[in-house]
Amino acid sequence: MATLIIMPRQGQSVETCIISSINKQKGDTVKKGDILFSYETDKASFEEESPVDGTVLEVFYEEDDEVPVLNNMMIIGEPGEDYFDLLGTDSDLSKEDQTESSVKEPETQNTELETQNLSTQAGSQHETFISPRARNLASKEVVDVIPISGSGPKGRIIEKDIQAVLENRPKMTPLAKKIASEEKLQPEIGTGLAGTARSVDLSAPVNPIYAGDYEDKKLSNMRKLIASAMYSSLQNSAQLTHHLGADARRILNLRKKIKADIESGTLTANITINDMVCFAVIKALKKYPNVNSHFLGDSMRLFNKVHLGLAVDTERGLMVPVTKNADDLSIIGLSNQLKEVANACKTGSVNPDILSAEAGSFTVSNLGNYGVEMFTPVINLPQSAILGVNTIVPRPKDLGGGVYGFVPYIGLSLTYDHRALDGGEATRFLKQVALEIENLEIEY
Amino acid sequence: MPKVQFLDPNEIRKPGFVEFNPIPVNQYQKTVKDERKNFTDEELKAIYHDMALIREFETMLNLIKTKGEYNGTPYHHPGPAHLSIGQESAAVGMAWTLGVEDFIFGSHRSHGEILAKGMSAIYKLSDEELMKIMEEFFDGSVLNIVQKDFKGTTKELAKRFLVYGTLAEIFARETGFNKGLGGSMHAFFTPFGVYPNNAIVGGSGSIAVGAALYKKVNRKPGLVVANIGDASMSCGPVWEGISFAAMDQFKQLWEGDMKGGLPVIINIMNNQYGMGGQTCGETMGYGIAARIGAGVNPEQMHAEQVDGYNPLAVIDAYKRKRKIIEEKNGPVLLDVLTYRYSGHSPSDASSYRTKEEVEAWQAQDCIMSYGKQLIEAGVAEQSDLDKIQSEIKTLINAMFLKAIDDELSPRMKNTEAIGDMMFSNGSVDSFSDAEPEVLMPLEENPRVQKIAKKERFAFDADGKLFSKMRQFQFRDAVFEAVMDRFYKDASLIAYGEENRDWGGAYAVYNGMTEALPYHRLFNSPISEASIIGTAIGYAMCGGRVIPEIMYCDFIGRAGDEIFNQLPKWQAMSGNVLKMPVVVRVSVGSKYGAQHSQDWTSLVAHIPGIKVCFPVTPYDAKGLMNSALQGTDPVVFFESQRIYDVGEQFHEGGVPKGYYEIPIGEPDVKKEGKDITFLTVGHTLYLALQAAEELEKKYGMSAEVIDARSLVPFNYEKVIDSVKKTGKIIVAGDATARGSFLNDLAANISQLAFDYLDAPVCVLGSRNWITPAHEYESAFFPQPSWFIDMIHERIQPLKGYVPTENMTDAELVRRNKKGI
Repeated sequence: MATLIIMPRQGQSVETCIISSINKQKGDTVKKGDILFSYETDKASFEEESPVDGTVLEVFYEEDDEVPVLNNMMIIGEPGEDYFDLLGTDSDLSKEDQTESSVKEPETQNTELETQNLSTQAGSQHETFISPRARNLASKEVVDVIPISGSGPKGRIIEKDIQAVLENRPKMTPLAKKIASEEKLQPEIGTGLAGTARSVDLSAPVNPIYAGDYEDKKLSNMRKLIASAMYSSLQNSAQLTHHLGADARRILNLRKKIKADIESGTLTANITINDMVCFAVIKALKKYPNVNSHFLGDSMRLFNKVHLGLAVDTERGLMVPVTKNADDLSIIGLSNQLKEVANACKTGSVNPDILSAEAGSFTVSNLGNYGVEMFTPVINLPQSAILGVNTIVPRPKDLGGGVYGFVPYIGLSLTYDHRALDGGEATRFLKQVALEIENLEIEY
Repeated sequence: MPKVQFLDPNEIRKPGFVEFNPIPVNQYQKTVKDERKNFTDEELKAIYHDMALIREFETMLNLIKTKGEYNGTPYHHPGPAHLSIGQESAAVGMAWTLGVEDFIFGSHRSHGEILAKGMSAIYKLSDEELMKIMEEFFDGSVLNIVQKDFKGTTKELAKRFLVYGTLAEIFARETGFNKGLGGSMHAFFTPFGVYPNNAIVGGSGSIAVGAALYKKVNRKPGLVVANIGDASMSCGPVWEGISFAAMDQFKQLWEGDMKGGLPVIINIMNNQYGMGGQTCGETMGYGIAARIGAGVNPEQMHAEQVDGYNPLAVIDAYKRKRKIIEEKNGPVLLDVLTYRYSGHSPSDASSYRTKEEVEAWQAQDCIMSYGKQLIEAGVAEQSDLDKIQSEIKTLINAMFLKAIDDELSPRMKNTEAIGDMMFSNGSVDSFSDAEPEVLMPLEENPRVQKIAKKERFAFDADGKLFSKMRQFQFRDAVFEAVMDRFYKDASLIAYGEENRDWGGAYAVYNGMTEALPYHRLFNSPISEASIIGTAIGYAMCGGRVIPEIMYCDFIGRAGDEIFNQLPKWQAMSGNVLKMPVVVRVSVGSKYGAQHSQDWTSLVAHIPGIKVCFPVTPYDAKGLMNSALQGTDPVVFFESQRIYDVGEQFHEGGVPKGYYEIPIGEPDVKKEGKDITFLTVGHTLYLALQAAEELEKKYGMSAEVIDARSLVPFNYEKVIDSVKKTGKIIVAGDATARGSFLNDLAANISQLAFDYLDAPVCVLGSRNWITPAHEYESAFFPQPSWFIDMIHERIQPLKGYVPTENMTDAELVRRNKKGI
């Protein structure tokens, strides 16, 4: 009995996935647990393991295809096995009965697929406007307009923006243009007459300084998504960052106590400095509801609960899983929950729904572990702010009576969207976070 | 203000009274019996015939409109039919004595007049003349239809021709007198002296006066009758036409054989109703319409009321009035009393009058009572009259069947032909064979001699501007073109406010008074409707004319003439008429809200007028020459801001000789590569200033194109420019909303969309009143506005701080507020 492998549905909002790689091709033998293919949603990457031993009888899609979830992906069974009855009602016909209707079926699917492709593209496009003239010139000269920042009214890309690109790029032969247009390549130098770029300049770029000492690696979809989200965040909001330090003696003491309690076996949860900072942040957010919000252009969405995003560094790139209703959790609950979602991200098993920026009401990004002393985190739009947590450094402090001593301070960097919040409120909130850290009470 | 007329206060301030003479009312009371010595029996019967012909013709139309059939033949006529059933005696009486060379103009209710005047002409023309007219008209195509299977006399054939041509016109057939483009309310046939009827009440009031002016100035025989309704006597343009006709100068200032009144009869077809409004007793106050004459001139316009129910009374009046006209004592006002039984139109239920009233008039019906007189006088038996009636019925039915036959009388197959008729696009040196009447050789003219010393290019060899006084100015260029035509075309006349002596308010005509006799250049009353209306009549009859509107803002005063008459008649006549009228219009500034408006857009909106707006001497002369060589109506706008400007663009300056610039070709005044400015009117000079600043401060090079003409307009040059630059501002002094600038912009957007780097921008004046001169820089486009617009809407300029708010939000806000 053959087994049908479908494209899994990863989360309620996911409609299609892109196949990043197909590890087992038609005819390959597979063992249970082998990776059949890997795929990406717009939030995360996943791998699909084979549920059975057998031979790959059919692979319905190729790498880079965008596949609607729950569509058939592969058939695994014994060679020569008849698996047609697996393919659903439309394919119920026997091979002999394959008449026009069954031939038509894949066509219909393709059309649907194309439509979906189109709509996905349209939907994911930024609102980048370009004049007809600039568009025509870009298309004629094969200029990629996506990275161009328009200098026309309201950021419209106009002819001179394209001309500026052309001026910094060698002229291209007609063949080079054709290939560049088809393969979406740009010439780096021109090796033809008068510096004209030939087709070879596209396929094997030779840099006069670095020679061939680099490779151009295509971005993964994940990378592209992060790139676009970060770029869009900085393009479309009014971000600035305030830095402030909090006396870390209290949380360091608590951490010492927690370690001791774990060693003594009275505590199982490894509550980290980060957990404590997040706990403090949640308390501060409850006092500053304006910060726990989304900025929607003509309105603010204020959340009753705190849905805390935590930036997680993974092999695939940055992910921000959200812990829903974080303000309901005890310190232990919070600690466990934060670790759980972070691990899910690292293993690729995270529910994509909690990765969306809309899922969180506020985000914490902790670079303290890496010794970062100060940074400007980028807001996860439409959220109104993000807190960067830095490393702990000793700083001189007036201990009273003219005595100065070195005290450990934890650095806090709050980036906020000035459209949503003013400096005063942001500062008061940041100070509140510091106060919560300095006076943190935890029970377990 | 002629200097020869001394306004002596001692005379003028003397006490006295204005005295009036009694105005005769229905004084003629004779019958057929009394007039037998003055008419042959055949003539007396022909009068009956013509009235009966009209009655049956209109009865047929009435049946078609109200019952959808005539003699059992169904036909649907959706167009208008304003009938004059009951008024036949007035029409026949009016036309009876008129010669072929006498012209009549009419109203929306003029079928009867067409037939009456047509019959009158048929009686007077020889068979050869009739055949020639019919054979030549539209290459005999109408004749062929009525001649087929017909064996009668030429006059009978001509009658069929008249009835058929009129009816086919009413039914919008291509074989109608005006190719079906005029229709019921505009039908006419000039070879029989029937000139355009007019669907605008009183429309003929000034046009007919212009026709009389044509006859007088060009020494053409005949008089002109304006058949207008009693209700039109309240219309301003009718009064203006009458005032124009009665100007003292004809009798006091015009010289030689030109001395004397205009040969025009204002013939009030007084059916006592204006639609449903009763003129006597309700909507007018004159009591008897003839009273009006007493207010116009000392001759009281020789006004009288005649009983139009009696054809003999009208004929008698016309015999007497003709003498007055021949003695150059016109104009004449006739109040021809009559009554229509039919409603204003078939939809009129006559709710405004009683059945008793209609029946009382019907009881004295003009045809019936005249028929009785014929029998009483022994001119005819009842059987003779019955025979006339039955022959008419047969004729009308036969012509009706031909006119509704789609094979014989097809509709226009290719309606694009209407487009081809909007302009005649002729090139005619002179509309007259006569030697142009002038008072001196051109080279002896002091203005010509003065101009000869001027610099025809504004800059000297070093690129320095000559002083204003030494430059050949814009006003000189217009003068040269107009003067040249005065010496070429004897039919050319020019008039308007202060055209003579003063030399035009802006000195364009300086030097012409010395060169031209009164009848070629004169001052008109300050009444724009008469200035334009008379020019239309003048041109319709075959003369070239330059009426002048002193300020563009006064166009509204001649609204009907400019919007409804001037542009329409070439096409409405089926290209029978030409309209060589060049209306000079001066566009003002500095004089506030009612003297500073650029209304070129209003004129450009109306199909059928060519519109020029040159702003350099070279263009002004070349375009004026084209306008004056052409056969189409041209409204020629001139900006008062630049009458003194010299030629700054055309290399070699303004040629001394004759040259033409085709109307409709824009001109690149300055080449550039980064942005295009397309300007209408004087804004060219501001655009050039903007271009200079743009180049100096922002390194952008602007191409500046002067539209020169609005209609027609060749977009090719502009599109080529936009293909090069990708950006364009269309600018002019008109208030922006609804202006022609938007029309240009819309078409450019469509034609050059793929080449555009920014939206096509329109820079017009604010949608306000034109404020006082001191505030004009806040109202009219300024050089800085161009740069503001570029910065805000086309391409932000580094470091530029705009002065005007040209943001999207402001655009929306202003429109939201309607300002």
